[in-house]
Amino acid sequence: MRTEILKLRTTRTPVMLLAAAQLVILAGVSGLFVSGDADLADPFTARRAVAHAGLVSIFSLILGILAVAGEYRHKTITDTYLSTPRRGRVVAAKLGVYAVVGVLFGVISSVTAVAATAIWLTVKDGSLDLASTGVWSTLAGCVAWNACFAAVGVGIGALIRNVIAAVAVALAWLALIEGIVGQLVGDLGRWLPFRSGQALEGVPFPGVDLLPQWGAAFVLATYAAIFALVAVSTTVRRDVS
Amino acid sequence: MTDISVRGLTKRFGPVTAVDDLTFDVPAGRITGFLGPNGAGKTTTLRMALGLITPSAGTALIGGRRYAELPHPRRSVGALLEATGFHPGRSGRDHLRILASTADVDSGRVEAVLELVELTSAADRRVGGYSLGMRQRLGLAAALLGDPRVLVLDEPANGLDPAGMAWLRRLLRDLAAEGRTVLVSSHVLSEVAQTVDQVVIINNGVLRYAGTLDGLGSDSLEAAFLELTSR
Repeated sequence: MRTEILKLRTTRTPVMLLAAAQLVILAGVSGLFVSGDADLADPFTARRAVAHAGLVSIFSLILGILAVAGEYRHKTITDTYLSTPRRGRVVAAKLGVYAVVGVLFGVISSVTAVAATAIWLTVKDGSLDLASTGVWSTLAGCVAWNACFAAVGVGIGALIRNVIAAVAVALAWLALIEGIVGQLVGDLGRWLPFRSGQALEGVPFPGVDLLPQWGAAFVLATYAAIFALVAVSTTVRRDVS
Repeated sequence: MTDISVRGLTKRFGPVTAVDDLTFDVPAGRITGFLGPNGAGKTTTLRMALGLITPSAGTALIGGRRYAELPHPRRSVGALLEATGFHPGRSGRDHLRILASTADVDSGRVEAVLELVELTSAADRRVGGYSLGMRQRLGLAAALLGDPRVLVLDEPANGLDPAGMAWLRRLLRDLAAEGRTVLVSSHVLSEVAQTVDQVVIINNGVLRYAGTLDGLGSDSLEAAFLELTSR
């Protein structure tokens, strides 16, 4: 575990992903207010704005994918398995570390989102009331979404050991396939990963049926565990050459 | 007991048999050369000995145990595989610090092995900017990090200049003289002839010869090698 943290601290990728996420949050929050869609009287407006901290969990997902698939790409996985021949342990350590990294990612993103929201509300002659509007509940959900997606990423990266394929599959799922599958399965769609993430934010979306927050967290953690378990019993056991 | 013993080791990739019923021993205190043409199955054999590839049949034991059963694998066995297993964005020192952390090795060893492979001055540069020879030295540093009794080195001379070759030869001799087990694969025969105490020669995954250089009976290692691997 200590090693996994050291691995993260010694490359620039995590910092760049984090920086990109903050830019997306700033742009997203600003977009909400600039477009005029923000109804200042609506108590959900502030929550909808800070919820951008959850949307950037896509970056946490990519970070998680790189944790395993990135090691295959750079062939550092050879050294990792030489040090820890029991490969299941490697994946378990990465799951643990990256869930925590996801929490940090979510917390930093939340701070950015709250700051951006507060500034825009002040500009629009409103104010951000942290105490009463359920903002905390939304922020907690955003942090959980980042943590869960980082862990899901570790599972995907272990299952699909090619970085490009793993990232492509993950993004295609989020951007396209989940929408199609969601339509096909109807009510069951709320159990799908991205929809579960949205549910974590605790902000109602018009016309979208969502799980309760705690249920969504449980569903996402289960996805991460299933991906990792399947990976450990299949691709992770394969020869490394 | 720190010998390597390979018994009936076999690896099939689909219809292709890469390593076929290989049996040989690598004793401690000597340098054993592992020779064969490209594609003979050298790397596959070494990776099976290190638990990275699962054999189709047979065993490769290090000190009587499979690699995965060693209590402290890095402190028992040092391995150099390909010179590409580095994250290009990481410094050489950070690469070794990470290995020291996984290997349960005191971080003071990092400076010691950097000194040993003469990379101290370049240790803080990113590995992406290293020359092939520097990467090879970093790989050797990684192999030596845990002060292991057994060394498995795949083509360690790759990318080294003549001075580097001479340095490597001295290093391997010193390591064997300390009683360590040293298994070195290579296809640079002139280099091998000067360095090793005994050889294991394979071709198409099949053992062709295992024993001392003298026992080959030809005028030169090259002549013997070409004869053994011509079929």
